[in-house]
Amino acid sequence: MTPIAHSPNSRWPALANIARWVAIGLALLWSLAPIYWMLSTSFKTELEATRLDPTLWPEAPTIANYSGLAGTSLPFVSFFINTVVSCLLTAVVCVVIATPAAYALSRARFRLAGTVGYTILAFRMLPMVVVLAPLYLLLLNVQLLDSSTGLVVGFTTFGLPFAVWMMKSFVDAVPIEVEEAARVDGYPRWQVLLKVVVPLIMPGILTTATFVFMEAWNNLIYPLTFITTMEKQTLPAALVLTFTGQFKTDWGGMMAAATITTLPLMIAFFAVQRSMVRGLTSGAVAGA
Amino acid sequence: MPTQASSSQVRAAPRRRREPWLDWMVLPTLVIMAVVVGYPIVYTVVLSVEDYNLLDFTPADYIGAANYAKLAGDPIFWASLVNTAIYTFGSVGLSALLGLALALLTENLGGARFRAIRALLLTPWAVPFVVVAFLFRYMYLQNGGIINAVLLSAGIIDAPIPWLNSAVIALPAVMIANIWAMTPFFFLLLSAALSAIPNEVLESARVDRAGTWGMIWHIKLPFLRNPLLISSLLMVISNFNDFAKIWAMTQGGPGYSTSTLVVYVYRLAFERFEFGYASAVGVIWLIMLMVFAWIYMRALRMENR
Repeated sequence: MTPIAHSPNSRWPALANIARWVAIGLALLWSLAPIYWMLSTSFKTELEATRLDPTLWPEAPTIANYSGLAGTSLPFVSFFINTVVSCLLTAVVCVVIATPAAYALSRARFRLAGTVGYTILAFRMLPMVVVLAPLYLLLLNVQLLDSSTGLVVGFTTFGLPFAVWMMKSFVDAVPIEVEEAARVDGYPRWQVLLKVVVPLIMPGILTTATFVFMEAWNNLIYPLTFITTMEKQTLPAALVLTFTGQFKTDWGGMMAAATITTLPLMIAFFAVQRSMVRGLTSGAVAGA
Repeated sequence: MPTQASSSQVRAAPRRRREPWLDWMVLPTLVIMAVVVGYPIVYTVVLSVEDYNLLDFTPADYIGAANYAKLAGDPIFWASLVNTAIYTFGSVGLSALLGLALALLTENLGGARFRAIRALLLTPWAVPFVVVAFLFRYMYLQNGGIINAVLLSAGIIDAPIPWLNSAVIALPAVMIANIWAMTPFFFLLLSAALSAIPNEVLESARVDRAGTWGMIWHIKLPFLRNPLLISSLLMVISNFNDFAKIWAMTQGGPGYSTSTLVVYVYRLAFERFEFGYASAVGVIWLIMLMVFAWIYMRALRMENR
């Protein structure tokens, strides 16, 4: 590792400076090369994608892999819609339910506040796989298995506790004085929350929603277990289910599907990247 | 409505009397959590003492601690436990180190240049876990995979390495993919923690003519200790639960060489439908995770102080 300057105006020996930029260059290569490889492969023909001497740039670039996704026997369009719908629904449900809870915990005036707060945090850390079998039986009994609603219920198990804690840190950052005027005017608490606090923490709400959305998008184990009809499957699970056959070697098509799966997450991620630092540092790290 | 006295201490006494037990605003969250998490946990404990099999239509019988006894003598359970520990602590430790190095490397880059570099270094975070898995699986191909091709043409290896098909190399190979995906998290958090170090502290160290390394070792690392500890614990917990990457890359194989507890529980429950036995593994798993969660919360409370 390179030595680091502790101030912009400290004199860096030229050699150390070069070493530093080489290290940064290597880090960029390490981070981006796999993504480049995915994109590049997604434009290759099936034959070129598995050549023994891989080509860095597609020799005969083709969009057949992408157009193939829409036209194959596999309903990739419905996979995409299923994933977007269930993840968005999860984000909205979690944020709507978590906002009043986060507000109450932040401005806690009730005796069980500490217990409730830490119980919710503990739920956040539960291994999902532990609740997997009982949740499956529960959804089976209420006939929500194999439905988007059932999937949203599953995603809520980790999304809701996360949303409560992340949002609490955003409410904590709102000075209580801001609410006082409205309180003196005798507005009920839910109106203070809706009209004063929510507009102030809107960036935090969006960041939290995006995080829940991303976590749901990343999740594989719930769709794999709770969804049994192929048409109702989500993208991540569909990738796994359609690509476990030994003889399927269409890596070009696979990487095109992977790119499509990545795109919405990439957009969501960079949309909130700025406020994310604050949300995570106060929410996850400071835990306040 | 509860009292709104935040600044006046005069109301302390009457407030205590009026303080309710619970706030209706947390009730929706609590009710939902009770149904989708609380009830399943209780149910898991119940299942763990039964011989419940989803395919078996005779009612499940109470079999006491039999599942737990079976578990103690189950070599796959122990192998999975060891794999989970290696996978989790290895990936988290290395990602934290890499993230720390990146944060220190890019620390004083200001302006647009830094924002661009940071955004690029964060990109792997935005790649879905399943995609990470398939991408690395493709790059790890024994024949035609880019990694072997590069290593072969650089003369580093003579024969292609069977990355994911070797019982010995498969786990480290999966960990590399995991580290690739996780490093941005540490990078981002540690960058933020670095920039939060008060300027006066750095200034006074500079007045004392602290060298670059002395600066990192004596000034910056102590400031980074708590953020590093807490983010590591958070990632340990999330890696304990990691299913997507391992399942999409190796399904726990070859053999059970990359099987973690999550993968094992999934296999027990949804390939063999032994919900009872799977639940017993889950309960043990739960206890171990709760110990970690407890440590995490202790660390949080220390941080808040």
